[in-house]
Amino acid sequence: MALNTAAVNYHLDQALSSPLFRKAERQSRFLRFVVDVALQSPEATIKEFDIAVAVYDRRPDYDPRTDPIVRVEAARLRARLREYYAVTPSVRVRIDLPKGGYLPLFISIEEAPEQMASGLSILVPPFRSLSPDPRDQNFCDGLTEEVVHKLAKDRRLRVITQSAAAWLEQSGGSKARFLLEASVRQAGAEIRLTLHLMEVTGGGSTRLSNIYQSTINDLFATQERLAEEIRDDITAALHLDETGSGSIN
Amino acid sequence: MDSITVRHLRDSAALMPVGDHSPVEEFYRRLFELAPEVRPLFNREIGRQAKKLSEMLAWVIAHLEQPDELATELRKLGARHGGYGVEINQYAPVGSALIWMFQRTLGDRFTPEMEEAWLEAYAFISCEMERGFREEAPEG
Repeated sequence: MALNTAAVNYHLDQALSSPLFRKAERQSRFLRFVVDVALQSPEATIKEFDIAVAVYDRRPDYDPRTDPIVRVEAARLRARLREYYAVTPSVRVRIDLPKGGYLPLFISIEEAPEQMASGLSILVPPFRSLSPDPRDQNFCDGLTEEVVHKLAKDRRLRVITQSAAAWLEQSGGSKARFLLEASVRQAGAEIRLTLHLMEVTGGGSTRLSNIYQSTINDLFATQERLAEEIRDDITAALHLDETGSGSIN
Repeated sequence: MDSITVRHLRDSAALMPVGDHSPVEEFYRRLFELAPEVRPLFNREIGRQAKKLSEMLAWVIAHLEQPDELATELRKLGARHGGYGVEINQYAPVGSALIWMFQRTLGDRFTPEMEEAWLEAYAFISCEMERGFREEAPEG
């Protein structure tokens, strides 16, 4: 079931009228602001500055380095949402504010069991550097983050990082259906990345195996370009680009 | 809080000057810049207030592995603060001033991982304090 704007807004209104949010006026505005932006443009980037000006009445010369109020409030909002969903287990929609950004994710609880049991859940452990220089692992870590970020924007996918997988393991949650593994060899500015997407349940077949080559001129631009290629290849391998809702047969 | 977060909290606290409350006095000055409306809620003698807050932070750091005990005391503290007139929206500038204090005192030694740990810790502290206040004065 696709979540529509009305369903998300209805859930948001319910949450904001609860005792947990009723007196937390700024955090309510924070949540409404990021939800509105995400509903209008799911690919949007929400910056700390935007929230500071729109929600916390900061002036245009606001400097997040000397006033980390948005980072403080984002951490508190994540805690408040966790508490809200803990005391309100019957909701049909869940709003998540993943760490590392301010763009919320909307999760339909009705489709969550299907996703968790047999759907499009992907475990993404950190990509491995095969280079002897430990500093090259930084490139792999950044690339892993970029790939997770891009995949997570596709709401048909449930992307699980290694830390989330450890938490799921402890809490008895279900495991991912797919595993995305990659290793990187580096020689000077040249890199060669080998990637495998495997179905780890029901037989363990390889759904995608690819090699990507690139030259690092600009580190971030290279990571972003590679992450986009990887995201597109995964989307194609899972037929998400054809059906709109994903084919996993 | 996981063990890595606890380690970053302890490492950053260990870098702060021992027996010197001036960073905490600076915290209050910053807080009153960010939120002048909270000034009347605090003791006029900021030196004493700074000593109390330093002791409270040290107590939190010492009890990170006892979250239940920590939560119980923080809820009691929150209930008292609610009685003094503290509002939920005022927790935000306090957190901002707290992170600023570590940045200003430790400079580059205050790493992004330490900041992340303090953001998580402050979310825990402030949410437990809020909960204490809500339990003390439940809404109708």
